[in-house]
Amino acid sequence: MQTKVIGTAVLALGAVVAVLGLALMAILGPDGRFTSGPHPVDVDGVAVVTAPTVISWKNVEVEILAELPASKPVFVGVANSVDVQAYLKGVRRLEVTSFETPWKLRTRQAAGRDALPGAPTAVDWWRAHSAGLGGAAIKTRLPDETVSAAVLAVGSSNLRGLKVTIAYGLQGAFLKGLGLMLGGAGLAGAGILARRGESLWETDEATGADETWEGDESPTVILPRHPKVQRIAPHPASTQSAAAADADEEDTADEEVHEVYVYVDEHGVEHEISAEEAAQYEVVDQVEQIVEAAAPAPAPEPEPAPESESDEPVTYFWVDENGVEHEVTEDELHEFELYDEDES
Amino acid sequence: MSRALRTAGVVAFAVLASGTLSGCGAIPQPRRDVALEQAANPTDVAEILGRYREVRNTAISLLDPKPLSIVETGPVLAIDTGSFDVAQRLSRTQPEDERQLQVTSVETPKFSQYPLWFMVTAFDPASRVDVVQIFERLTPVDPWLLVSAPQTLPSTRLPGLRHDGDHVIPVAAGNGKGMSMSPQRAAASYAKALASMSGSSAVARDDFIKKMRTAFEQANRLEGVRVTQTWAAERVEHALRTDDGGALAWVTLLRLDTYTVQPGIKVSWPDGSPQQAFLANGISGSGKLRYYHQVLLHIPGGSEGEPRALGHYGGVVSANTQAALSPIPAPGSDPLSPSDPFPIPGASPGQTTVPGWPNILPTPTPTDDEDSEDEDSEDEESDDESED
Repeated sequence: MQTKVIGTAVLALGAVVAVLGLALMAILGPDGRFTSGPHPVDVDGVAVVTAPTVISWKNVEVEILAELPASKPVFVGVANSVDVQAYLKGVRRLEVTSFETPWKLRTRQAAGRDALPGAPTAVDWWRAHSAGLGGAAIKTRLPDETVSAAVLAVGSSNLRGLKVTIAYGLQGAFLKGLGLMLGGAGLAGAGILARRGESLWETDEATGADETWEGDESPTVILPRHPKVQRIAPHPASTQSAAAADADEEDTADEEVHEVYVYVDEHGVEHEISAEEAAQYEVVDQVEQIVEAAAPAPAPEPEPAPESESDEPVTYFWVDENGVEHEVTEDELHEFELYDEDES
Repeated sequence: MSRALRTAGVVAFAVLASGTLSGCGAIPQPRRDVALEQAANPTDVAEILGRYREVRNTAISLLDPKPLSIVETGPVLAIDTGSFDVAQRLSRTQPEDERQLQVTSVETPKFSQYPLWFMVTAFDPASRVDVVQIFERLTPVDPWLLVSAPQTLPSTRLPGLRHDGDHVIPVAAGNGKGMSMSPQRAAASYAKALASMSGSSAVARDDFIKKMRTAFEQANRLEGVRVTQTWAAERVEHALRTDDGGALAWVTLLRLDTYTVQPGIKVSWPDGSPQQAFLANGISGSGKLRYYHQVLLHIPGGSEGEPRALGHYGGVVSANTQAALSPIPAPGSDPLSPSDPFPIPGASPGQTTVPGWPNILPTPTPTDDEDSEDEDSEDEESDDESED
């Protein structure tokens, strides 16, 4: 149930990411940018500049193309607003106070002289700049600082007839969109698998069945662990109704787990050791054995004693630490723990 | 689905996702604030210092101060020009290996408007002193120029400067918050302490003040010679906040020494001294020597600390003499009066000093030449008049 929920969530996330990637590719196109223009700008001065609050994004790839008729010289640049404002202080200029995409401007005219304090090409603080006859274009990524864009007349020229084209986008946007789409598809696929209850990887049990353990050739300090599960409660094998499940649960509660630690010496002989002693060794193998307790006979019908066994003499052996068996009499039997050979 | 296919799918997904997310830092996003801030960036600073060194070395190798006007301005240019002039007259040259300033640190404050400036600490192997320079750009169309360069002894430790991120914090001239006085008031108090040793002082009477006063008193002991000295502080343009809450201020002081010599006596200076370079014929009658002194002043944080000079750079920037019998100029027309503005930097020679201002004393000698007038002083007067 939980796997299905997770699978559904991953599927939904993958679908959203894929749609985002697809949208990015569709909107920005193969060149990864959105273009607007050319737009005529009515300017009666030598400068058009954006106010510091207008460009409020960072890491956007911006392209600005300024065109003037009659091959008039023009300059386009982007720089820190402190530099641009100080540079254009006292210059008659058109200041763009707000801008909305694709092209909605609010402007104000600032009075001043019709001359720049110095040639814009002569200063060194432009982050990106370009000058040309009849047109100039720049392409730059907006930095994490307050910047302004400026279109300036060069020399004794003016900006009458100015047309501006802008483009903005994200570098490598198409590839990023493609990556998002494929990544989203991958996520969605993983979600579908999870919903089906299939695991992305094969489990250890499945892989372990094919594999064989080469074994440790070292003859010493090998400690297999043999947890024995002995069912104590009687199991009603004949139950067929819905009560069987309840009975199973009860049986599980009656299960008793015995952990036996065995040390195998260099001769391959097993020696039982305590848990404290086992802690000093490296566990190299764990073996689980389920030992079914003998089902108690129904009360009304006592189990008949096997006739053949009662006639045969019983021989008891004591197995020493080297695995050597020694015969034990019935009188000595109380000194040992009885271990039925058939159960092993 | 086979294991191999699943593995390939996961790997492809990881590659695509990492490829896409690797550009996350460059994802367009709106900026949180629209702050007007600008500071010299490290690339600019390296370029500015490289250009400064190149021009300075050219000036040294030519023994000509003219190239310095490309990279220096104001009092520091006046002082350096004077030092070159003295070196020229005395034919002193500097070994090439001693010309290279070794920059040890650069600190750039942020500003919301022009002028912009930054601080450079460098070791001068020629003088074996540390130079604490200020480079400034007045307007966006001006170049970066050296405007102040007080020198400290290598053993002098400058107070730590307080930083805001990567930038140090400038202090306005009139801002005395957290200090016993503002940088501007500290500059005025320091000038006052230099003018007189008597009375209480708001600043520490450090070695520089003591040496200046000692030299002045010794000059006044000369027979037949009367010397007066005035000090004034220019407006403080550069100060930085220190870690102790105080400020490190670059203060420019103007000093005017006026000599009145009794008839029949001529005051002259030892050969090789900067004053002698300016006044080759000494002073007969009266004469004036003008100095610029740039002082690095530490104003400690808290209300108790007294401002103290950590470094100094200065020298003679102009000199005038007047014969004893010359007509007295009309009030307000004397170009040599203490209230006159100083000449344009670079228009007159000067002298370079290092920490440990030398006491170069004039010598009075009897003379018959009462009409002598120094050649430099004529040039200087005409310059001043044209300024007025």
